[in-house]
Amino acid sequence: MRPQFSIIFFTTFAGMAQGLLFFLALSNLYSQAIPNTFLTNLALPFAFVLLTLGLVASFFHLGHPERAWRAAMMWRTSWLSREVIALPALMAVTATIYIYARISEVPPWLWLALLLTTLALWVCTAKIYQCIRFIQEWSHPSTLTNFILLGMTSGWILLELLIAVWGDTSIQMIDAPLSTIAFLLLFMSFNLKLWIWRRNRNLKPKSNLASATGIKGTNIRQTSMGLMGGSFNTREFFHHQTDRVIANLRKIILLCAYVVPMILMAYAITSPNILVIALSLLFNYLGLLAERWMFFAEANHPQNLYYQRVS
Amino acid sequence: MSKKNKQLALVIDLNVCVGCHACVTSCKEWNTSGSAGPLTDLNAYGANPSGTFFNRVQTFEAGTFPNTQTVHFPKSCLHCEEPPCVPVCPTGASYKRKEDGIVLVDYEKCIGCSYCSWACPYGARELDQERQVMTKCTLCVDRIYSDTLPESEKKPACVLACPTSARIFGDVHDPESDASKAIKERSGYALMPEWETQPANQYLPRSIMETIDAARNDK
Repeated sequence: MRPQFSIIFFTTFAGMAQGLLFFLALSNLYSQAIPNTFLTNLALPFAFVLLTLGLVASFFHLGHPERAWRAAMMWRTSWLSREVIALPALMAVTATIYIYARISEVPPWLWLALLLTTLALWVCTAKIYQCIRFIQEWSHPSTLTNFILLGMTSGWILLELLIAVWGDTSIQMIDAPLSTIAFLLLFMSFNLKLWIWRRNRNLKPKSNLASATGIKGTNIRQTSMGLMGGSFNTREFFHHQTDRVIANLRKIILLCAYVVPMILMAYAITSPNILVIALSLLFNYLGLLAERWMFFAEANHPQNLYYQRVS
Repeated sequence: MSKKNKQLALVIDLNVCVGCHACVTSCKEWNTSGSAGPLTDLNAYGANPSGTFFNRVQTFEAGTFPNTQTVHFPKSCLHCEEPPCVPVCPTGASYKRKEDGIVLVDYEKCIGCSYCSWACPYGARELDQERQVMTKCTLCVDRIYSDTLPESEKKPACVLACPTSARIFGDVHDPESDASKAIKERSGYALMPEWETQPANQYLPRSIMETIDAARNDK
């Protein structure tokens, strides 16, 4: 598939915000250790801005953004429609928690609602891809797991950075455990990515030219796709890069999104340092952009069987 | 089957298609000026032309020399009985008509997100670059229900244009229709049956190859 930058920015921004909000909700359900001022002055506005950026980015995906409201209509059948509802819902819950935190205490049911809406948005986003049964790279539960784990990882590193920036006196004490958890999340998502790439490499396409055309005979090959100029079919379903670019990008993804942040986090465990955590988040996010690009690029669409030769 | 609603469809006879592209150009001509249009072309006379088409004729080869065959293969929306492109549409712009099974796009509702095209394994949908809405074969719905065209012309433009009658149009739920009879008597088959989309359009295999093989064996 052709990587769509609107979706790449949407899923990475929203995913990071979801991870941040997920852990804020989780820690508040567990204990009330996080001060309200940290929530209202830093964490919640930051998450809201990220979600808004994601929302704005998603509009660039549409040919008719002025009709975007229509996309909430088909929630009974379409995961995309459900996502269109889940994102504003998450923003609404975040805003409500912000208001509560400003005027009094946030009730536990709101934190639970936040936890559930972050998860709901991940499910909707991932299911958009996972439910297309003939894109075999996507049609697997690992798509959902990958979205959740990477969102949690970047969100956790962001939370750690925000806590460090907040500069509470207790920072020195909690910083090492925070970095340890970040390291573990990075390690888990790293292994999941390796596993997904191994699975993709070993996939046997269910469709082939024999099933696509029904021609009886051996050695079926296309001699003409029926057009010599471009068309939507030759643009939309391929990444248009060389194998070399793809191979190099895979290395960059592994280094940027996982390995370098892991090394930085290992360093942060022993000597906590805001700059190291910020660098870790920066590398992780840049890696995530490439990872999401590759998520599209490595998806093989069976329609490409019909578009192999110009003449 | 016969108790179900109508399902209009095309049956493509691969025995007789000669790959002349008359169905492609007649489709484009009718639909670019009809209710489904315009099907815009960008840079039509430049180095990299690009345009929207509902129908293509592709060419495939099979076998090894000297026992080879060339197959011209028209390809358009198959109007699936279980169209995967319909439930994924977030706005309801993509729909399948109950009364005749035609899969259509409501251009007024389409937001141009392209998701339906991802959900079609056949690549039957094309986003019109200028109008930024998803387009696809309508089975010439504005011809077959026309109030003004004579009865003999109330057929898809591609069917009328085909010089070898390689395209049979009809209700595949009516066992007495020419389309149903062709499928039944000449072993019509569906494309990519592995995805269980149940395409309404079917293809007639090249039985002519048996004749050719027999002639070769006689020599």
